Parts: sequence; C-alpha cells; structure tokens
Amino acid sequence: MELFDNLSLGFATASTLANLGFCFIGVLLGTLIGVLPGIGPTATIAMLLPITFQIGDPTSALIMLAGIYYGAQYGGSTTAILINLPGESSSAVTAIDGYQMARKGRAGAALATAAIGSFVAGTVSTFLVALLAPPLTGIALQFGAAEYFSLMVLGLISSIALASGSIVKALAMVVLGLLLGLVGTDIYSGTPRFNLGIREYSDGLNFVAVAVGVFGIAEILRNLEDEHERSVAVKKVSSLWPTREDWRRMAAPIVRGTFIGSALGVLPGGGAILAAFASYTVEKRISRNPGEFGKGAIEGVAGPESANNAGAQTSFIPLLTLGIPANPVMALMIGAMIIQGIVPGPNVATEQPALFWGIIASMWIGNVMLVVLNLPLVGLWVKLLTVPYYMLFPIIIAFCSIGIYSVNSNIFDLYSVAFFGFVGYVLVKLRCEPAPLLLGFVLGPLLEENLRRAMILSRGDFSTFVTRPISATLLVLTAAVLAVVLLPSVRKKREEVFVEDE
Amino acid sequence: MVIDRANALCGAIFIAFGAYFGLNSLGMELGTPFRMGPGFFPLFLAAILIVLGLAIAIPAIRVEGEPIGSLPLRGMVFILPSPVLFALTLKGLGFVPSIFLATLLASFASTKMRIPTALILAALMTAFTTAVFVYGLGLPFRLFGPWLGQR
Amino acid sequence: MKKLLAALGAAATISLTAFSAGAQTYPERGITIVVPFAAGGPTDTVTRLVAEAMSKDLGQQVIVENVGGAGGTLGAKQVADADPDGYKLLLYHIGMATSATLYRNLPYKTLEAFEYVGLVTEVPMTILAKKDMAANTLAELVDYAKTNADKVTVANAGIGAASHLCGMLFMSAIGTPLVTVPYKGTGPAMTDLLGGQVDIMCDQTTNTTKHIQAGTVKAYAVTTPKRLDVLPDVPTTTEGGLKGMEFGIWHGLYAPKGTPAEITERLSKSLQVALKDENVVARFAELGTVPSPEADATPAALKAKLESEIARWKPVIEAAGQYAD
Repeated sequence: MELFDNLSLGFATASTLANLGFCFIGVLLGTLIGVLPGIGPTATIAMLLPITFQIGDPTSALIMLAGIYYGAQYGGSTTAILINLPGESSSAVTAIDGYQMARKGRAGAALATAAIGSFVAGTVSTFLVALLAPPLTGIALQFGAAEYFSLMVLGLISSIALASGSIVKALAMVVLGLLLGLVGTDIYSGTPRFNLGIREYSDGLNFVAVAVGVFGIAEILRNLEDEHERSVAVKKVSSLWPTREDWRRMAAPIVRGTFIGSALGVLPGGGAILAAFASYTVEKRISRNPGEFGKGAIEGVAGPESANNAGAQTSFIPLLTLGIPANPVMALMIGAMIIQGIVPGPNVATEQPALFWGIIASMWIGNVMLVVLNLPLVGLWVKLLTVPYYMLFPIIIAFCSIGIYSVNSNIFDLYSVAFFGFVGYVLVKLRCEPAPLLLGFVLGPLLEENLRRAMILSRGDFSTFVTRPISATLLVLTAAVLAVVLLPSVRKKREEVFVEDE
Repeated sequence: MVIDRANALCGAIFIAFGAYFGLNSLGMELGTPFRMGPGFFPLFLAAILIVLGLAIAIPAIRVEGEPIGSLPLRGMVFILPSPVLFALTLKGLGFVPSIFLATLLASFASTKMRIPTALILAALMTAFTTAVFVYGLGLPFRLFGPWLGQR
Repeated sequence: MKKLLAALGAAATISLTAFSAGAQTYPERGITIVVPFAAGGPTDTVTRLVAEAMSKDLGQQVIVENVGGAGGTLGAKQVADADPDGYKLLLYHIGMATSATLYRNLPYKTLEAFEYVGLVTEVPMTILAKKDMAANTLAELVDYAKTNADKVTVANAGIGAASHLCGMLFMSAIGTPLVTVPYKGTGPAMTDLLGGQVDIMCDQTTNTTKHIQAGTVKAYAVTTPKRLDVLPDVPTTTEGGLKGMEFGIWHGLYAPKGTPAEITERLSKSLQVALKDENVVARFAELGTVPSPEADATPAALKAKLESEIARWKPVIEAAGQYAD
C-alpha cells in the first residue's frame, strides 16, 4: 500500500538519531521562547529561524523548524492561560476560559488539557495530511473571493458566542475590531487610511501589539486597581492533573475541535484563523450549561486548543502541495525551505519523497515530544504563578516590549501597545470583552479584500454570493447560525437586563 | 437624573470611534459596487458601529448601573509609558540601558515595590534578556548606543 | 542646550576619526543588511543567500534584518538615516526606482540618500495564465485579451509589486486596459490563478518556475532577451511578438550616503566574490535567476541602473495614474 510505504519512508527519515535530536531541540526552544509573554509563534519563529540555517541537511533543518513551530504554539497557549496574554489570534480563544481556570487555581488542569488536546488533534490531523493532502488541495482551490467572504461572514456571526455578557457590546467590539483591521493602506488603490498620517502604520497595526495591549496590559492594570483590598494572586493551585470528571468533559470537545480545525486549516485564505473561534462557538452552543463558558469551562480550552493545533497541522497542506502559505508563519516556513534549497510547490512530494514524508512523520513525532516535554513542565509553569504579581508584571512588560519590537523593528508598534493597553483597559472596565475585537481585527482586512475582489470578478453583480454553490451553502449556514444563536440569546439578554435592573 | 455611567460611556466610546472612521471614510472615494473605493467598506462599518453605540448608550439613560470603580492611576502612569520609553531610547542608548530603564519604570506601578527590589529586578531582567536575545538568538540589537558615545 | 551641542560635536568628531581609522581595518564587527520586506519573501531569500557568502569573504557575520512596510520604503528610510560607517546596508529591488514615482511624499531623496555597492541579480518575469485558458501562444493570448478586454482579469500582488509593474507594462504593450485584481502578496494571487479564479498574471520566476514545470499554469513568455535554462520551452516576449517588453526585478545593494569609498569598494569586491559562490549560483539557478556579472556588481553599474530605471518607470506609472500614497 502506497500510503504505508510513504509513511514508513517518512518515519525512517524522521527517526534517525540526529533528526530526533533536532526535533527535540526545536520543540524545546520553541516552547521556551514562545512561553515568554508577548512573544507569540510568529516572533518566536522569526527569532529562531536563523538557527536552522546553520544546519546543513535541509530535512533536519525543516524538522527542527516544525518542532519550533509546535513548541511556539504550545508556549503561546501557556502564556494565554497563565497570564491572559495571547500571542496569536487562536490563543485569544484559549485565554477566555483558560485564564479563568487558572484564576480558580486550576491552571494545571487547563495546561494539561491544552497539551492533551493538542496531542490528539496533532495525531489525527497528521494522518489526515498524509492521507488526504492532494484531494483537499483540490477543494481548497475551489474557494474564490466570494466563498472566502461568505466564510468570514459565517465566522463573524458565529463569534457572537464568544461573548459571555452583552451581545450588543460583543457586536460593537467585533465591528470596532474590523475597523481597526482596516488601518493602513488600501491595497486596491494604494490610499493610506486611518493611519493618522504616520507612515509606520501604513501596513496596518501590528496584531501582537493590539493583542498584548487589550489583553495583557489591560489585565495588568485591572490587577493594579486596588492592590490593598483585592488579592490579585490566583487561588491556591488545587491539583495539577485533570480530574476524572475533567477527562470525561474534555473528550468530545477534543474530537470535535480536531475535525473543525482540520477542515478549516486547509483553506489558505485565513481558514485556520477561524478554527479556534468556530470550535468555541460549537462547544458553547451544544453545552448543557453554556453559562459556564467565560468563567472557566474546560470545554472552552479543550475544543479550541485542539482545533488550533489541528488547523496548524493541516495548514501545511497548501504549503506542501501548492507552495502557498496559509498564514505569516507558513510564509516564514517557505523562506526557510527556499534557503535550504527546496522550492515548495506541487513537485516536492514526487521529487523529494524522503523530505516530504519525513516532515509529515516529524509532525507527529514533534507532537509526541511536546506532550512528553510539557506534561512534566506543567508543574514548573504553574509555580511561576507563585511569583508575587508586583514582580511579575515588570517582567511581562519588558518581554512584551522586546517581542513586539522584534517582529518588524518598528518602534511605532510599541506606541500602539501603550494606546491599546489604555483603550483595552477602559473597554474591559466597561464590561466589553476583548476576544471579539481581536477576531474582528484579524478578519477586517480579509473581509473587505474578498468582498471587493468578488465584486470585481463578478463585474459588480451582488448575486455572485448566492449563485456560486459553495458560497451559497455558507450563507445558508450563516442564516441558520443566526437563527439558532440569536433567538435564544436575545431572550437571555432580556433576562440579563432585568437582572441588572434589580 | 440617574444614568448608567458605565454603559453611557461605553456607547460614547463606540460612537466616537465610529465617527472618526466614518468621517475619514467620507473623505475618500466611495466607488461603485464593481470597483469599490477605499471609503466604501469602512463607511458601512462605521455606520453600524455608531448604531450599536447608540443601542448601548440610549438604554443607559434613566437606569442605575454598577459604579465604574476606582482607576489604577499609579499603574497607568508607570505601566503605559514603559514600552514608549523602550521605543524612544532603544536606538540612542542601546539595548542594555533601554530595557533596564523600561523595566525599572514599570516596577514602580505597584505600591508594594521597594526601590532596591526594583533595581535588582531590572538588573536581572537586563542580564537575562541580553543573554537570551542578543547573545543567544543573535537579534540585531546594539548593546550600547551612540548617546553613550558608543559606535 | 550648549552642553548638549558640545557633546554632539564631540561625538561627531570622535566618529569621524573612527571612520578614517576604521576604513583600513573594516570590517571589525558584524554587518547588518536591511531587507525592507518580511522574512521569507523572494528578496529576503536572495539577501540571506548573498549575506551568507559575504560573511565568508569579509570574515565577519553578515546579519539580515527585516524591516518591512510601505512597499519597502520604511526599511530604505532607516538605512538612509543610519551612520555611514558600512555596518548597515540595504538590499532593495526595483522598488527603489519605482517608489521614487509611486510615493509622492518619500521621506528621503532616492538619488541623494545612498552610496552604491552593486547589482546583485535580475530576476526574470514570466507571463502566465490559468491552466484552462484557450490561448496557446503569446500572440493568441494578446488577441484574446484585446477582444475580451472587459472580461479578462489580471492578478497582481498589490501596488508596486513586481506583478503590478509587469501587469502595467503588459497592458501598455498591448495597448488595452484590462480588469486588474489586486491581492495582498503573491501567495493568494497565485492561489487564485491556480484555481482559475483569475485569468492572467505576470510574476517573477522565483515564484512561478515550479508551477510552470508542474503544468498547473500556462506560461506564455519570459521577459528576457534570451530563453531561460530552467524553462527552455517558454519563448521570450520578443519571439512572441511583444517587442520591448523586456524587464526584470533587479536587486541592488546600497549603503547610506557618505559611506567612505574604500568601504563601498571593499563591499563591492565581497559582493562579487559572493555572487560566484557555488551555493549562491546553484540556489539562484533553482529559483530561475542568475547572479549579476562581475561588471554589474559595481557601484557605477548600480548607480546607472537606478537612474535609468527611475526615468523608465516614471511615465508608465504616471500614465496608470495610481500612486501608493
């Protein structure tokens, strides 16, 4: 059987002592750098990329790079859970319930859930990559501008579920996020927009700067509100390990998250970004007690983390089969491949089978190492929470400053941190949640770009969104979600208003 | 007259953002459906944001809300300028003094911090980050900059 | 204030003496090459390959720093403002010439802000169409485009990108404006071409060679005087009937204005050595390009190239009436 031969070739390549070593170093470095606050996967990989250039053998170098990638992803989730500081859009979702779990003294369980979810998702999606890469690529190519637009609309409508408080405020945060995402230059006309005349913002606001501002800095300020009266320290850590009840509750979300993430990750135009958000929405909708979401529901960590990791894995599909990067991290990967003398494209699998299947096998090996490495480290990370908060936050600020600067060497990104720290704090204080804003921020440019492109391609005919079958299906789905999501929550909102009135 | 100040302020903030983006979009080409201009989509979003802002602010009138609570003024004064200080001094002073000062500044946000502790913390952070980022990862930072007479 | 001025003056004197002393021993520490684009792009790749080879020759580490933004002009500005001591350089492509017209408010004067080290490479362009395009030759494609001008779509990777310049040149060569569809970067544009969502694109061989070889897109012409070794079956634009549509994405290495001539000469020598490095030649070939010949990897050749290219693109961009600010 061909698949079996391919996989055994892959495992033979990936499990030489040297390659196992590189994979381990990659996972370790990725975790250690990625766990530093304010330094997300993109910055981590950009920082560690040059190290892989020192390795002569391209297969080893790419295996190490893949290890760095998984390590950075996981490290990013760790900071999201422990100090509410997501380094990328997907871990913004993990931060919602993960951080609440940490505040309740269940940081260990949250971290372990994230590790286990990532591992299961990684295992399943590695096999999906091996099995389905070519046919999935075909489907991905069917997605044009109209389809992406409809997909983004579906994602945005679903994001209402991210809110645990007022729906109107959540919607306003999404729209504000969309607008902030448009800051920069209009790619169609080259017109600079909303950049206050500052050239340094002409490529838009830096995601990490906005995320660190509205999540991290805002959280620090909240904790400084009244140091004497309120204990900012998290409750005593109960148990490092998930309880039997936890295991039962995380199983199904992990499976669902894996499939959602695998499916969306294949789409090169931002599908992977939606994976974690979509999974959260699904879990909250089908949960018997949705009220728990936003207050430390383990399903809210298990589902999105699995979706995130599965999406990360399957976003290698367009990279390996088409040579097209699904996100900025994948763009860095392409750069690394080219420097190693491999031009990613449709021919890699046939011309360099050992490399192609070696990378796929090493994805799984990397995931194993991640679990082996991180489960024992959970105890150590949780210990970090015992550092007094007044010592912790100057450290957080320092790392954030370095991390944000190193992405683009743009000092204006540091000014954005201060600004969004302030705005984010005020909005959080007024009971608006930051996660929908971040989703909007990421999707804003994509939404506009695809809307306008779809209209150009259809010569200004709006019916293009319903005459193209995939797009129409997505819009029908959107309508369904709107009906299902909005009706009960409107009722719930009323109840909330009454509660507030009392 | 009673008013839910939190929600009124919240609505006002959204309306203000909406107005900023909306007014700027009006100054740009709106285009046609075939070739939408740079102002079309943001104007549409800005209008929605203003409506949502109103939907939050108007019901807040004549309703009593939770109080907003105290503001961490000391925190804001020391935390928010810290990344800005790093930005302003990095090129001139170089990485080592710049990260030291930024950490030190942020330290004083808490009333619990004592000066010796802050100095030690900032020094340790400087040593650690210099070792990791400059020596370990080889990021292109200058240790000491031209303001200190270093080339 | 006086004290500050005095201190600045003293600093300036020290640095001037440092230069003259430094020129003989240059380089005595690591050199940074600024790439004004994100890591992983074609310019970044070219730079990293060259930087590695130059490190060997100079005996000092040559570090690549990515300062992306505003079509490359933010990175260029940073180098224009850097100390002219030979420790901060800029590797920028054809955008150095086109940005002089595309941006009406550049914060530096393109022809006055830099010293020249040399040309690095000139990457050829390829004219492509989606796989199921009926036309089989460049002439047929031009005919098809002319008769269906309101239907044919041309993808590009954003204002000022190589594909945008090439698209403008193609339209002016065939004398027919087509519907332009901009994307954010080459990746998504290529995806839509592969998926048949758009009709035509013209882009650098660094991005297109693999797809052409795999037969997932149709290639009609290369924009070079001679056919390429990696794509022997693809005719040149002249063979295909579009005379004068020859151009490539040339890359040059620059230093801040005022860098001593001994230093730029030393760098130029090092660049020439790097461009003969086995690894560089081999990797460039895989990307469908060749290193610039020794005669072009000189300050004079780069200066002449920049001046002639600014003059060449000014009317094309002004005719299109599209600016980036």
